[in-house]
Amino acid sequence: MDEWLRNLIVKKWKIKALEFSFLDALLAVCITGTGVMLRLAVNDYTPMDGQKQAGLLLELFLIIVCAVIVHDYTGSRNKAFLTYAILAIYPTLVANGALWGQNSSQYAFPLFLGLCILERGERLRGAVALVVGAILAAVRLKLSAATLNLGWPNLYEIIGKSMFVELYNQVALLCLLGILFTIAYVFVKKRIALTRDLILRLFLFLALLLPYLAPSMPASAGFTADIAALLYCMRWPRKFYVPMLHLIVSYSSYAYVINGETKLPMVLYAVILLALLADTGIEIYKEIIKIQRSD
Amino acid sequence: MKKLLDKYQLDKADILYLLAMTAIGLAIRGILRVVTTVDWTTYWDPWIADLKEMGFAYLATDRYDYAPSFVYILWVISKLPINPMTAYKAVHIVLDFVAAGVMGRIVCKVTGSKCKGIITYGLMLIIPTIWADSALWAQCDIIFMLFVLLCFYELFEERPGQAMFFYGLAFAFKLQSLFIFPFLVILWVNKRIRIQHFLWIPGLYFLSIIPAWIAGRPLIELINIYMAQGAQDVWSLSIKWANIYQIIGNQYFLLEYAEAGTWLILGILMCVMFAMAQKRYRITNEFIVQMALFFAILTPYFLPHMHERYGCLADILAVLYAMMNWKRFYIPLVQILMSFTCYMAYLSHLGDQEPTIYYGVWALAELALLIAVGLDVWRFMTNPENQLPLSETSLFEAFAVRTEDAREGRQ
Repeated sequence: MDEWLRNLIVKKWKIKALEFSFLDALLAVCITGTGVMLRLAVNDYTPMDGQKQAGLLLELFLIIVCAVIVHDYTGSRNKAFLTYAILAIYPTLVANGALWGQNSSQYAFPLFLGLCILERGERLRGAVALVVGAILAAVRLKLSAATLNLGWPNLYEIIGKSMFVELYNQVALLCLLGILFTIAYVFVKKRIALTRDLILRLFLFLALLLPYLAPSMPASAGFTADIAALLYCMRWPRKFYVPMLHLIVSYSSYAYVINGETKLPMVLYAVILLALLADTGIEIYKEIIKIQRSD
Repeated sequence: MKKLLDKYQLDKADILYLLAMTAIGLAIRGILRVVTTVDWTTYWDPWIADLKEMGFAYLATDRYDYAPSFVYILWVISKLPINPMTAYKAVHIVLDFVAAGVMGRIVCKVTGSKCKGIITYGLMLIIPTIWADSALWAQCDIIFMLFVLLCFYELFEERPGQAMFFYGLAFAFKLQSLFIFPFLVILWVNKRIRIQHFLWIPGLYFLSIIPAWIAGRPLIELINIYMAQGAQDVWSLSIKWANIYQIIGNQYFLLEYAEAGTWLILGILMCVMFAMAQKRYRITNEFIVQMALFFAILTPYFLPHMHERYGCLADILAVLYAMMNWKRFYIPLVQILMSFTCYMAYLSHLGDQEPTIYYGVWALAELALLIAVGLDVWRFMTNPENQLPLSETSLFEAFAVRTEDAREGRQ
């Protein structure tokens, strides 16, 4: 009996092209169950309406897409499974949808689907999905006339968030546009080939940059970067600190808005995010140098 | 159009980028132009009103404590048939764009990359401390900064006479141009500038005060106008600038430390210049910017009574430095963030309150930048490859080394 069980857990099963072991299936079932239970435990904080149901369903698809992306990037089935497992119980994912009903997965799903399609080489379809995601995210943006920051610890946490709000709402978007133009200009002029690695790095960089400079960013503004940071770490494991720090910042900003307090000052998180932004930027620079040398 | 593009060796992407960034720069300034700050209502507005009423005779009075060159601009504005604040801000906004253009030309020249030059132009227009100074705050620092930039441009073109002419103009507008004065002395020691070129500084200043003197203000008052300016705003050792006084305390020994601080920075500058003048080295463009940036950070770090805006020169020099050396990207990032935080502390009427990141923390960050740039200067000076023999170096030889460098494409 013992031997039969031992053999069972490592036995490979094959359904069409998909090969998996009993242990894989066990983890998939158990972690999915854990994810569901985790969500049920905090679900009552906000009412379960159609929006939330759709959001939770999209969350599941989002997790699967992310696992596929990691599989594409690393070729490792284990890492893909691990990504699925981690995201199923990822604190900010659970808090965002089930607890708080923010349903950020509604725009994050097309964004990550776009990333997935893009890194597989289908530029046009990928770009369309990314644009859809960006539009869905943009329509959620409601500019506040009272403060420059609605809970996400970004630049305004450092420079002050209560002066010239209506003016800076516009100026910040223009500056952001200027930075994006500059990035695009560099890529066009230097004829930098968008490799798969560079796409992932850029995706994370933009996911960090946009909420860092955009005004009226809510506490959930780091949702995309939270997940992108995990994928980034799966691709480059020595960057383990990126998702770790981002998750701390992100969850603390949730706590700040929901509970009304954080144990550390929000400005510290703003500095951490700036450091992560710089770190990701440096890696992009190195990647570009690598690409240009190989050309 | 094609001929124009060919002439300036630009392509469609360049034009598109330049147009987009110009439009963004204009839009930012257009949005902010409506802000009326305390400086406007307390100083420029009444001064312009007086100029309107009294005409040129206003220059005879002691109601202004800025350099007369600046008051001449206000006099011109007072004659215009448009809203004075709009006219005032428009002048400075135009100068923002000119300064961005000069920065672009400088970067293009020193890096040999048109692309970097164009990017610098674009970035200059969205740097917060630049648009906030002119369009939001109605300050006039861009005037002297533009002349300082032109000074650098002429230095890189190896026209020291013209460079010092522009430096003289910068001094005729703002005393803060003196922050980087020691680097000119080092250039003189290394035979890049002649002693007579320094005459532009007092010469242009004297020329600039003549109309006010003719109008009737006593000459001695006009000569001492910067001294009188320095004697105001002495209620704190640091007026919201993150320097040494934000670490040791800026509210005690106000009189004693004000004097001692001035002597201290003079002593420090003397020591630094003594150390730098000991040897002769190749003066590269990057080294010129390194030195200037070092002094632009060092001087206000120890001088008492420094205002929030006094890092603006270091801001643009830091951008220039990072454009010449990408690895130093963090220097403008931290410098501008700190500078803008100090701007916002004033503009948000924080008063005695601290910003979210305390001035003391920023002061430590500024010290770290000072050390980082200082180490770069030190490494350059101590690198045997950059050193020239003391006795044998003549102006001609120094020139020959530079020409050889230029031929080999070394910066």
